[in-house]
Amino acid sequence: MSLFWIVIRQLAEIQAMATSKKVITRADWEKKLNDVKVRKEDMNKLVMNFLVTEGYVEAAEKFRLESGTEPDIDLATITDRMAVKKAVQSGNVEDAIEKVNDLNPEILDTNPQLFFHLQQQRLIELIRNGKVEEALEFAQEELAPRGEENQGFLEELERTVALLAFEDVSNCPVGELLDISQRLKTASEVNAAILTSQSHEKDPKLPSLLKMLIWVQTQLDEKASYPRINDLSTAVLEDPAV
Amino acid sequence: MSEATSQSQPPAKDLIGSYFLDLWCHTSKTLAVKPETKYASEFEEEEEESPTELDTVNSSGGFSVVGPDKLSLLYPSVNLHGHDVGVAQANRAAPMKRLLYYFEIHVKNAGSKGQIAIGFTTSAFRLRRQPGWEANSYGYHGDDGMLYRGHGKGDTFGPTYTTGDTVGGGINYATQEFFFTKNGVVVGSVYKDVKGPVIPTVAVHSQNEEVTVNFGKDPFVFDLKAYEAEQRAKQQIKIDNITIPQDASYGIVRSYLQHYGYEETLKLFDIAGQSTVPPISLVPEYGFSEEDSMYALNQRRTLRQLIKSGKIDETFSTLRKWYPQTVEDDTSTICFLLHCQKFIELVRDGKLEEAIMYGRSEFEKFKKLSGFDDLVKDCAALLAYEQPSKSSVGYLLQESQRELVADAVNAMVLSTNPKLKDASLCMHSCLERLIRQVTACFLEKRSLNGDQGEAFQLSRILKSGKKG
Repeated sequence: MSLFWIVIRQLAEIQAMATSKKVITRADWEKKLNDVKVRKEDMNKLVMNFLVTEGYVEAAEKFRLESGTEPDIDLATITDRMAVKKAVQSGNVEDAIEKVNDLNPEILDTNPQLFFHLQQQRLIELIRNGKVEEALEFAQEELAPRGEENQGFLEELERTVALLAFEDVSNCPVGELLDISQRLKTASEVNAAILTSQSHEKDPKLPSLLKMLIWVQTQLDEKASYPRINDLSTAVLEDPAV
Repeated sequence: MSEATSQSQPPAKDLIGSYFLDLWCHTSKTLAVKPETKYASEFEEEEEESPTELDTVNSSGGFSVVGPDKLSLLYPSVNLHGHDVGVAQANRAAPMKRLLYYFEIHVKNAGSKGQIAIGFTTSAFRLRRQPGWEANSYGYHGDDGMLYRGHGKGDTFGPTYTTGDTVGGGINYATQEFFFTKNGVVVGSVYKDVKGPVIPTVAVHSQNEEVTVNFGKDPFVFDLKAYEAEQRAKQQIKIDNITIPQDASYGIVRSYLQHYGYEETLKLFDIAGQSTVPPISLVPEYGFSEEDSMYALNQRRTLRQLIKSGKIDETFSTLRKWYPQTVEDDTSTICFLLHCQKFIELVRDGKLEEAIMYGRSEFEKFKKLSGFDDLVKDCAALLAYEQPSKSSVGYLLQESQRELVADAVNAMVLSTNPKLKDASLCMHSCLERLIRQVTACFLEKRSLNGDQGEAFQLSRILKSGKKG
């Protein structure tokens, strides 16, 4: 063999060694999995935490009875919170604001951004219902002063008012404001603010766990070849591609 | 501990029973060694011991004196050259199976030249040189504020320190760095280019220098907990930015409720799911169809309720009526679990004599099961105490034991589904499989990283974010 090819082959071997990963067989990996003992209690807590944070009140109450798991938050407070969330999701922003203040007047006081977004949503709903004059009045009296205090608010306000300039609102550049996703975004913000005011984590822990799984598998991929879970909804182990 | 070694491969039905029996054995063993354990994972992590005091066995040839409490170091004489440093290492290497390790020294007296050092060395270190002056050692020196990491010449690092200062040295296993603090503030960090265990080290080198060492017995001047939270948060941000499918969590919770037979909760959950905005639509899972997970949902719910209320006789009769194949083999593991539970319930009700009679007539036939001896011993031990719930076998009287039996029966019933393709799907819910995978991956990652750093701990996730 010529020297050239000998060198190439040696370089390839060095490459292979440098990128060689530990290979873990299916059988070995399943043994490792079997060594992990998960407490049922902990899984129940994760599920309860999800039900409670996402606001599934009746389901949480029933789960408490069926599994004996205690929720980490007073279930009564969930009903109130869900009423607010629902009001925003249905476009009844005034109602939502009233309810939030009934729950805890400090929430909106200490959350100018949230309050602005709620007012912005009110404006969007007025525009959606064709109440142009009312909308303009509302924008000038309620939102413009906020806009003066904060550049970000001003830009948002301008975007919202721009809706009035277009005939075909669904196709205009700011049309997404009329989309239901905008309501959901605001509803989510309110939900989070209420949870925080109640000293509760605003996000359920389960999605975090799923993200950690994806993260650690990516990290481990660099050093080992092993059966992965690629589909979270089935949690089925897939053997590594050879 | 495989069943296969003590007897021939158990039939498929008993695989399920054996799994739960194994789980029970694990709890029993864990609690036997350390009764106050609440979380098995915490137990494993605490096995690693921490340094507690200075080591006096490997002295540095008498140049320095370790105080009687083994937490102070004094340099009594005058130093003459660079090979008469008074060095003391801790009595153990720093534990590795955690995110951070940290210890502090307080300079009681900077002596004539303030040539104090704090750092980390290996067991091979020559104990008459300043940490950092030799290979595989690191030292933050008080006289010049420099960091020495293996050669005589140091790098500019932080401020000098003297009498009255408290200086800390730490290891961050996630970033593989050493970090140092002065009076509660981080002064800098440096890459840890040492493999294997390192030992916390302090050194003094001029007349009358004296330091005291704190390995955690007293509160640290540095807010270690806050720093730890900060470091975790940094890692968390990377993780938070990962996207997951929109309704992944919803689907997993739903499948959890189906798997364990929480029928009523599932009904309400589905109703709520339809009225959310926008309504949640789930992609049907392959491998385990909707039919499979809904199989015998009502029956499984009923059985779970029976077991959770301690009605074991009724459980037996109901199983015989609905799923005779699960209990027809009277020597199967599932029968063993149920009979033990009946025994436990009798003890709970104070019917001790009845319990003994029951045990005598029922337990004998399960002698061949692995783990039998220890578990029956645990059950029998309940009889010995006036207040069994407060004893070391008190765990048997807790809800978790009923839960274990209920889960085992649940899995057995699921296995009777004629359409079932894979028996292992009965034993673990989707959520459990995900948790096992993430735990195993973290452990493997740590093991490939020289066994340094944290493992995944579900208990920590559950506890995090709790205020007050």
